[in-house]
Amino acid sequence: MIRAINVAFRELRSYLLDKGDLAFSLLLPIAIFALIYGAFGGSGNFHGTASIVNADKGIYSVQLLDQLMLIDTIDVQLLTSEEANSKLEGSDLLLVVYIPEDFSSRISNGETAELVFKQRGNGGTEGQIVAGIIRGAAEQINRNIEVEIRVNQLVADTSITPVNVAETVQKFIAREQESPLIKTKERIVGSSPDPVNQFLPGIITMFVLFSITLGAQTIVEERKKGTLERLLTTRLTRSELFAGKFLSGVLRAFVQTLILLILSYIVFQLFTPISFLEILVIALIFSAAASALGMVIAAISRTPDQAIWISVFFTNVCVMLSGTFFTIPETGVFNILSKFSINTYANEAFVSLITEGQSLAGLGTEIFTILGVTIAALILARLIFRAVPGGK
Amino acid sequence: MIETFVTVSHMQKSFNGHKAVDDVSFSIAKGEIFGLLGPNGAGKTTTIRILSTVLEADHGEAVVGGHTIGKESAAVRELIGVCPQELAFYPDLSAMDNLVFFGRMAGLNSSEAKEQATNNLRMMGLLERAKGKVDKYSGGMKRRVNLAIALMGRPKLLFLDEPTVGIDPQSRNNIYETIVDLKKNGMTVLYTTHYMEEADRICDRVAIMDGGRIIVMDTPYNLKSQIGPVDKTSLEDVFLKYTGRSLRD
Repeated sequence: MIRAINVAFRELRSYLLDKGDLAFSLLLPIAIFALIYGAFGGSGNFHGTASIVNADKGIYSVQLLDQLMLIDTIDVQLLTSEEANSKLEGSDLLLVVYIPEDFSSRISNGETAELVFKQRGNGGTEGQIVAGIIRGAAEQINRNIEVEIRVNQLVADTSITPVNVAETVQKFIAREQESPLIKTKERIVGSSPDPVNQFLPGIITMFVLFSITLGAQTIVEERKKGTLERLLTTRLTRSELFAGKFLSGVLRAFVQTLILLILSYIVFQLFTPISFLEILVIALIFSAAASALGMVIAAISRTPDQAIWISVFFTNVCVMLSGTFFTIPETGVFNILSKFSINTYANEAFVSLITEGQSLAGLGTEIFTILGVTIAALILARLIFRAVPGGK
Repeated sequence: MIETFVTVSHMQKSFNGHKAVDDVSFSIAKGEIFGLLGPNGAGKTTTIRILSTVLEADHGEAVVGGHTIGKESAAVRELIGVCPQELAFYPDLSAMDNLVFFGRMAGLNSSEAKEQATNNLRMMGLLERAKGKVDKYSGGMKRRVNLAIALMGRPKLLFLDEPTVGIDPQSRNNIYETIVDLKKNGMTVLYTTHYMEEADRICDRVAIMDGGRIIVMDTPYNLKSQIGPVDKTSLEDVFLKYTGRSLRD
């Protein structure tokens, strides 16, 4: 076994000495992480734009706009009527809110004023959410005005002026907004359902799968250098050679995945320390499976080109069948085929841990399947290698 | 009494119907330098690959140090060192690291491997450049590293497959002297080469192979004396007499 470890360390040493290879493989997880962050970073909560046409010049439309500008989740974009119509026509916008000319005057006269939501179709998901937020703001103003009217009615026979009432009511409302009697708080169960969570499992499985290509080339490279035949004349057994190659493949894949996970942990704070360790366990097991599958391709291949093309084909098939980036139907041929992809099990395990907040205890099927593939692939690789010169 | 270290009996090996080694038999005494000479494709390298346990013979038997190849290959590997025709090491590592690694593969522990690596590199005149990447070495230095690796683990039987091909006279001389020193220390050597004067100089006996068969086998002196006056006949004359003058590819 010590010779297998020596083979693994020799391999890792060559990897560390090759600055190009090292830079590529260590920068790759950082680059992938940067892409994830660039695409999804900080966009965990909803953020939309309220496109508004304000034809009113009165106090209440200004109040409504002020109220909307205080809301973090939306930006307010003021448009002219022509601009709004043009954008709606061209489907550049799906929803525009019109504040009519008589909005403030009608409210001042105690009449009902209308906000008009002009939309294409259902206004789109963002439009519907923005409309809901604007309705909430309008209701808030509505309540404030009602309070003012009621208080004015109650103090009608006193020396208190409507201006005093308005100021006092505004002061109380401001205080209520600062420290409301009923607060709302979001508490996420498991982990946050943001896009990073949705895509990270697939990216990790893809990443680990790269090690198939690396593993597939190790034997061919030894053959090309002439060192394979030389090693086969030493006391190193064929099984030790395989164990060493397998071990180095696992370590390389795991270290790269570890970098990606640590960055995700630090920057996105996706996992708890426990779930982080559980994800590492799955990453390690899956790295072992990928490295073992790489060994099968290594045993088959006779040239570096063969090794690369077979592993690229295999990796793509695994990714396509696994639902890494799209949902697999519950039934049907595609569902059956997906069971033949190692990615499916790894992806399910990562999704359960990252997105659904489950623990390793509930992942028996996935873990045993991946371990089973690892053992079967190692045995198969060794058997195939027996058929090549010096392989026995 | 001469102790036989290698015995090869009626060994055959074919590739896709072509007989690369055809009914080859010979023996090598312990401490002897035995030369296998022959044109390209004669079967020399295939013979070495079988004796070094990389290939299995189709027929025949080969015994090294009392162990039968095929049945006791692991025991045979403990006795042998192989210096292949092509350079076979890790060019991205230093000479020292290459030797230590192959020393570990030869069953040495870490300190033994370092000690032997240092001695071998000194013997090959490479100690001063031991820490440099082999990739940066000259052709002659690479050849010497190739041989130094084969000596790790102090093998009892050394296979040298054209170890001096394409190198400068100084490196070639260094390799000759090393082989002669190894013989003095009792090492058995199976040597293949295209350089006839080289074989004449260092081999105790030579076998000339062609078409997978051994055509003739004796001491260089006896072979030369068979075709003319020894002082006016070279081993090359013997070689050309037995293998002909037609070109081989």
